Amino acid sequence: MEYSQAEILQTVAMTEMEHLDVRTVTLGLSLRDCATASIAETAERATEKIHRFADRLVETVDQIGDEYGIRVANKRIAITPVSMITEAASGDPVELARAIDEAAGAVGVDFIGGYSALVHKGATDSEREFLNSIPEALSTTRRLCSSVNVATTRAGINMDAVRQVGIIIKEAAERTSNEGGIACAKFVCFANSVEDNPFMAGAFHGVGEPEAVINVGVSGPGVVNYAIRHAALDLPLQELAEIIKKLSFKLSRAGELVGREAARRLGIPFGIIDLSLAPTPVPGDSVANIIEAMGFERAGTHGTTAALALLTDAVKKGGAMASGSVGGMSGAFIPVSEDAGMIEAVRLGALSLDKLEAWTSVCSVGIDMVAVPGSTSAETISAIIADEMAIGVMNNKTTAVRIIPVPGREVGDMVEFGGLLGSAPIMAVNLFSSADFIRRGGRIPAPIHSLRN
Amino acid sequence: MANEELIYRLTKAVYSRLGAAASEQTVEQLVTELFREVEPFLGTNGSSYSSLQSIPSSGGFVSQSQEGSSDRMIISVFGVDHPGIVAGVAQILAEAECSIVDINQTVVQGKFAMVIIVNTSRARESATELKERLRREGEKLGVRIYAQREDLFNAMHRI
Repeated sequence: MEYSQAEILQTVAMTEMEHLDVRTVTLGLSLRDCATASIAETAERATEKIHRFADRLVETVDQIGDEYGIRVANKRIAITPVSMITEAASGDPVELARAIDEAAGAVGVDFIGGYSALVHKGATDSEREFLNSIPEALSTTRRLCSSVNVATTRAGINMDAVRQVGIIIKEAAERTSNEGGIACAKFVCFANSVEDNPFMAGAFHGVGEPEAVINVGVSGPGVVNYAIRHAALDLPLQELAEIIKKLSFKLSRAGELVGREAARRLGIPFGIIDLSLAPTPVPGDSVANIIEAMGFERAGTHGTTAALALLTDAVKKGGAMASGSVGGMSGAFIPVSEDAGMIEAVRLGALSLDKLEAWTSVCSVGIDMVAVPGSTSAETISAIIADEMAIGVMNNKTTAVRIIPVPGREVGDMVEFGGLLGSAPIMAVNLFSSADFIRRGGRIPAPIHSLRN
Repeated sequence: MANEELIYRLTKAVYSRLGAAASEQTVEQLVTELFREVEPFLGTNGSSYSSLQSIPSSGGFVSQSQEGSSDRMIISVFGVDHPGIVAGVAQILAEAECSIVDINQTVVQGKFAMVIIVNTSRARESATELKERLRREGEKLGVRIYAQREDLFNAMHRI
């Protein structure tokens, strides 16, 4: 036989028992040609274009998933940052937000990302207005996701934008207070945002991208978790890294196959594969559990930053070997509410916001799906963002913050978002004020290593 | 569905011949005429789609598609051993006009394991339908049956 029984068994076990899935097939779509002088007309054109490119997306991808026996969990669309196509238009951008959300619902995707603005060095007048529309847009739509890039290693950190984002997050939470502030779960703030990221809430179709593109996000913390749990307890760490690397290779190859097949059948070029260990609330499908399996009583204790560094790096290396088209984030995600192991670690007091921040210096993204008390001030949220942006800018990596100040909730409470977003324990923030620092505004200059020309 | 794909491919071909500077009207006219000529020869949606699938795609995909065949599926069967499992699965494959390329079956300590590689190029039903039939048969036989395209195994286990 061409394949050994062990090889066949491994693949079947991965797809059937260890939750190997393609987390998302994301259609990146340029809406630049939809820009007109009126929002209503732009909305009409955008709706038509989304239908033209995405009508077959869900059906095609599901069929491919079925043929390979690999579940494709989500089908999504990422569009040109909306602030760019409304720049010259008169009217309310929220109207466009609703039209896009409706189109996304009609073609059957679960999220559409790109209600976004890139303001890392400064905002235009129109962008400033656009930012103010985000809370209303997110609280009156279901599938729309929004992101704002407020910092890059080349430009530094736009602290005026960081300050405004703190206010946006508070307002978005207030507007959806009866649902635990869920609008904030669809909003993320970036340093060094990625133009071809297939994952939500931060996906948008970057300005350097082609007309349309298929990007794929593969996941499989369950697979890695299972392998590490079954490795010898005295296995040295470099060998543990080898195991992770080899598994990542296989995961990436499977994901790329699905992505390329989808691209071929849809007649849309293939973009990138993003191998990111992204947890789900399903037991065992947890990044925290992987860390614990390496030899910790609980995720969040001392040494777990080192373990996460090993994990992220091994995943990247395996992915890079497997495919010539690795992009996006590629590493490990640490969204608290979506990871049963992390929720447990927070409840036991093993994992704090400070440790999460430390983790983000070595994981692929940032502080993700963290719920904090509703009484947290906009300035404190801006300050949390500023810290995170500084880690990204100084270390030349993408970092992000997706934080939910849940109205009326206090530390120790749980808030339920439902579905993929999971449920989050309210985490404690530092109660001392950062307000005067945030109110200064301005810009934190780009670091010395941005001068690379 | 298939027609849209055909139109897309025709448009691409026309543009690649005339260059990007070609006027939109000319291209649209050409594509419409070409499509009208071709349309009577298109069968049902299904058959036109499968013939379109044989058009080689460009770019990096080619090297991958050559390894591991998309016409073959790997069917794996696991469960507690009892007489009739091989017969039951083979019956379904025969009815679906799938030919068996390779088969490997063992029983260890009462546990039944079988892997079959089948060629589905002449199959009368889609992969989804075949899988559904195998799943139902598996329930009847008290075993788990998985069917996955072969190129997945090639991608994961061969460099």
